[in-house]
Amino acid sequence: MNCAHLQQVLDAYVDRELDPATAGEIDRHLAGCAACASLHEDRVALGRAIRVEVPRFTAPETLRRSVRDALARAATPPTRRRPTWLQAGALATAAAVAGLAAGLWLSQPPRDDLLPEQLVASHVASLAPGRKLTDVAAGDQHAIKPWFVGKTDFAPVVRDLAPEGFELVGARLDHVGDRQAAAVVYRVRNHYVNLFAWRADRIAREDVRIATARGFGVASWSEGGLRFAAVSDVDPRDLERFARLVAQP
Amino acid sequence: MSDAGNRTRFEAAVLPHLDAAYGLARWIVRDDAAAEDVVQDASLRAFRFFERMHGDNPRAWFLAVVRNACLDWLKERRRHAAEESYDDDAHGAPHDATSSAFEPPEAAVARAAESRWLHGCILALPLEYREVLVLRELEELSYKEISTIVGVPMGTVMSRLARGRDLLQRRVLQSGRRRSS
Repeated sequence: MNCAHLQQVLDAYVDRELDPATAGEIDRHLAGCAACASLHEDRVALGRAIRVEVPRFTAPETLRRSVRDALARAATPPTRRRPTWLQAGALATAAAVAGLAAGLWLSQPPRDDLLPEQLVASHVASLAPGRKLTDVAAGDQHAIKPWFVGKTDFAPVVRDLAPEGFELVGARLDHVGDRQAAAVVYRVRNHYVNLFAWRADRIAREDVRIATARGFGVASWSEGGLRFAAVSDVDPRDLERFARLVAQP
Repeated sequence: MSDAGNRTRFEAAVLPHLDAAYGLARWIVRDDAAAEDVVQDASLRAFRFFERMHGDNPRAWFLAVVRNACLDWLKERRRHAAEESYDDDAHGAPHDATSSAFEPPEAAVARAAESRWLHGCILALPLEYREVLVLRELEELSYKEISTIVGVPMGTVMSRLARGRDLLQRRVLQSGRRRSS
């Protein structure tokens, strides 16, 4: 075995992946070749340094628990249909929302309200390939608010929630059902949140209410003559937190 | 097989590898919260396809699912970064592993200056070297298992390990010099 050949398989040798005959040849070569022995030493030292100095990551307890919970829900669907994995997520979401709903309304929406299904349809359409998620891309509320001027007959709420983990992505004009709506898009981790706003027929303030449809959470509320709905596949706890941050007086 | 029985088998075969899964995801996406999200999604994905798992190595199989979920996450992140002409550096997005050999240099140097400098050097490796290195050195998997997870021949696993270690050794030496100067 010559030096060039040895250096090609040195890593497999260090990793004990070579057959005994080849490994034996390398043993003999290393014993008589200082240059190769030094390369070998470097590799061994590097491996040792990594194993000693670099910490192993361990799964956080929150992850362990959420995986178990999600599996429990995925394995016992309340419907007879076999859930797709998106629907399994929906069931998980619904179950989580039910668990968290203390203090929230889960009653039927008022008659003139848009159904969660319509909101989810608009949300899904906005994320479809080939569709533009935003007409204006900006991470700054002062760039987004003026963009709506002249396009809607109301001023949508745009808040900077980056410190709370919700990055502002941009905005677009959209429709929910048959109404024109302003859509402001946020991102939390790898999930998108569409915050829809449209003119409401009534003025009374209504508190945040959570519903689910097709695997997505929908948080809706009313304020100042506008209806708001935030739609996302994010953890319902995050969606509720988001809604409360936006709806804050 | 009932759903409940399936779940019991899945939990016994796969959940012992949750640390390895989270570790791999953490090394690939380089973000705690994203790694949690990705592993949770991957676990449900794996559960759904568990009956179709072939081979007798649930760990390698599960890590392959996790790795795919990580790559999806990175792709999605890049797609949106491009779409929105976002400044990724300002938003902590992971960097494109296919650009320069080492990045982000500032972050790597900053990390390298700390006590976790070797850790930082590995994090700064391009993804294709980083993942095989972590699977080999920290998870102590065989070339065969790594080949299953990454989906490349064993010869490629070896050459990537060799290249990755070369890069890492060079980087470690540079950082060491900078630290001591």
